[in-house]
Amino acid sequence: MEAIYAVWHRDLIKFIRDKPRLLGSFAMPIMFLVIFGSGMSGALTSMFNTGGMQQFADFNYVSFIFPGIIAMTVFSTSIFSALSVVTDKEEGYMKEILVSPVSRTNVAIGKILGSTTVAVIQGLLMLVFVPIIGVEVTLKSILLLIPAMVMVAFTLSSIGLLVASTLKTSTGFQAVIQVIIFPMLFLSGAFFPLNGMPGWMNALVKINPMTYAVDMFKHIMLDVGSMNEILRQAMGLNLSLMGHTVSTIEEVVFIILLGSVFVLLATISFNRSE
Amino acid sequence: MNENVIEVTGLKKRFGDFEAVSGVDFSVRKGEIFGFLGPNGAGKTTTINMLCTMMKPTEGNATICGHDVLKEKKKVRESIGIIFQENTLDEKLTATENLMLHCRFYSVPKKERTTRVDEVLKMVELFEKKDDVVENYSGGMKRRLEIARGLLHYPNVLFLDEPTVGLDPQTRTHIWDYILELKNREGITIFLTTHYMDEAEYSDRIAIMDNGKIIALDTPSDLKDQIGGDMIELTTEDNSLAIEEIKSKYGNNVKTKGSAITLSVKNGSEFIAGFIKDLSVPIKNINLHRPTLNDVFLELTGREIRDEATGNGSKKPAFGHRRF
Repeated sequence: MEAIYAVWHRDLIKFIRDKPRLLGSFAMPIMFLVIFGSGMSGALTSMFNTGGMQQFADFNYVSFIFPGIIAMTVFSTSIFSALSVVTDKEEGYMKEILVSPVSRTNVAIGKILGSTTVAVIQGLLMLVFVPIIGVEVTLKSILLLIPAMVMVAFTLSSIGLLVASTLKTSTGFQAVIQVIIFPMLFLSGAFFPLNGMPGWMNALVKINPMTYAVDMFKHIMLDVGSMNEILRQAMGLNLSLMGHTVSTIEEVVFIILLGSVFVLLATISFNRSE
Repeated sequence: MNENVIEVTGLKKRFGDFEAVSGVDFSVRKGEIFGFLGPNGAGKTTTINMLCTMMKPTEGNATICGHDVLKEKKKVRESIGIIFQENTLDEKLTATENLMLHCRFYSVPKKERTTRVDEVLKMVELFEKKDDVVENYSGGMKRRLEIARGLLHYPNVLFLDEPTVGLDPQTRTHIWDYILELKNREGITIFLTTHYMDEAEYSDRIAIMDNGKIIALDTPSDLKDQIGGDMIELTTEDNSLAIEEIKSKYGNNVKTKGSAITLSVKNGSEFIAGFIKDLSVPIKNINLHRPTLNDVFLELTGREIRDEATGNGSKKPAFGHRRF
């Protein structure tokens, strides 16, 4: 038990000490919020207004992508945190851990929990943008957001560890993770409403587990109840799978299941690696 | 029960077609310094890795404090401390943080942690720097910190894989002071690998390893006595002619060592006086010394350890005991 704490604690100390990493983690979200957000927002609003549709008057692109930005931060931080496993191998520290009596399962769990914690902290830090971009976030939604972030971060950290346990170089790890993370992000509905997509893309979106995570984040952060049906549809908030509208509860169950599968796979893979 | 802390029988490790360790047998007694001497690539590190459960042997078995390295990994890991060849500290953390993590990995009792951390830090004279980030340490300080860390959980056996490689002579002496003090004070068993002759001299017993096999195992002085007497090393205007002549006149064991010739003789100082007069091939220079472990290795394999050990000359070990 204490070994789990030790591995977790080490990751946390290193996160807090690494200021450039912390600052750098704000770069992508700022880019998406400011550049993408402002640009798309103007374009979309003018399109809707030309159509003269009253129902879209409330549409705010920035508040639409904000949950997606938080999701993106949590995804990428948790999956990339497993990089430390690879650098530990490169720098030799992994030997110190592996030659100790600590079970490898505990090391794996400590690593996953470490990445999860760091990712949740990063996700919460994104809330500093709330007053700047003018979206409304209630205390209730923050309280709901935390467990949601924990679930998602735990799953992605496990995926990260699964990849890291099979690789020996950090450059290799980064290359593989890029290939995994970008399609997952762009096909998740984080940046554009999932409407009117071609069939192949729709299929990819529906098999992408992150689609359900992003949808869960949106339902927590956006006041979906007060939206009119057309706006809700336009914002892609009626996520459906084979004609069935997916509920938040189903998403929670799905993510927990997925997390359990990946934590198991990651632990097995980590146990097997030399 | 058993006075042997390490027992190894028929240990083998194969990597594909290459046999890194081809069946070694030895045992290490409680409280001794046991040295593995041999050139790089002889299979020393591979043997250590198998002993400390980091690598699975292809064949054979080994026990540490009576625990099988394959079946009782956890027990083995609890009873050993290892200083790897390469640095395995977390350089982003402070010395104290590194040591505290180690205490947690080895379940050192909570109450004892601070005292033990301070104790080992004082021993390696890093107490004043305990809250510095390891990144800022010099090579020698890092090594000392690793030794301190290896001792935190009071292991029965301490493995040192090339403990002073890449360090300057002064630091090496310093580190050896600690190791010897440790052996005397704690009675800890030390298993050492090295390709430095002078370092191997510190061992109570040495196993000389070459091409995955142990080719000799004895105390340093007995190994050197095998050579029989003193070593004469000379260079002449025509080495091949000189070898012929020495062989016919003295029948001694003559070997070439780089550009020089070596021969072992009894009562070297008396012998050399007549030898210089008798040899018809002009001598360029000549010296007489007590046999070193390098001479032993040369005797056994026809090669020198240092030829292969250091590609460049910069890390050549200092040779002691030269006298005329």
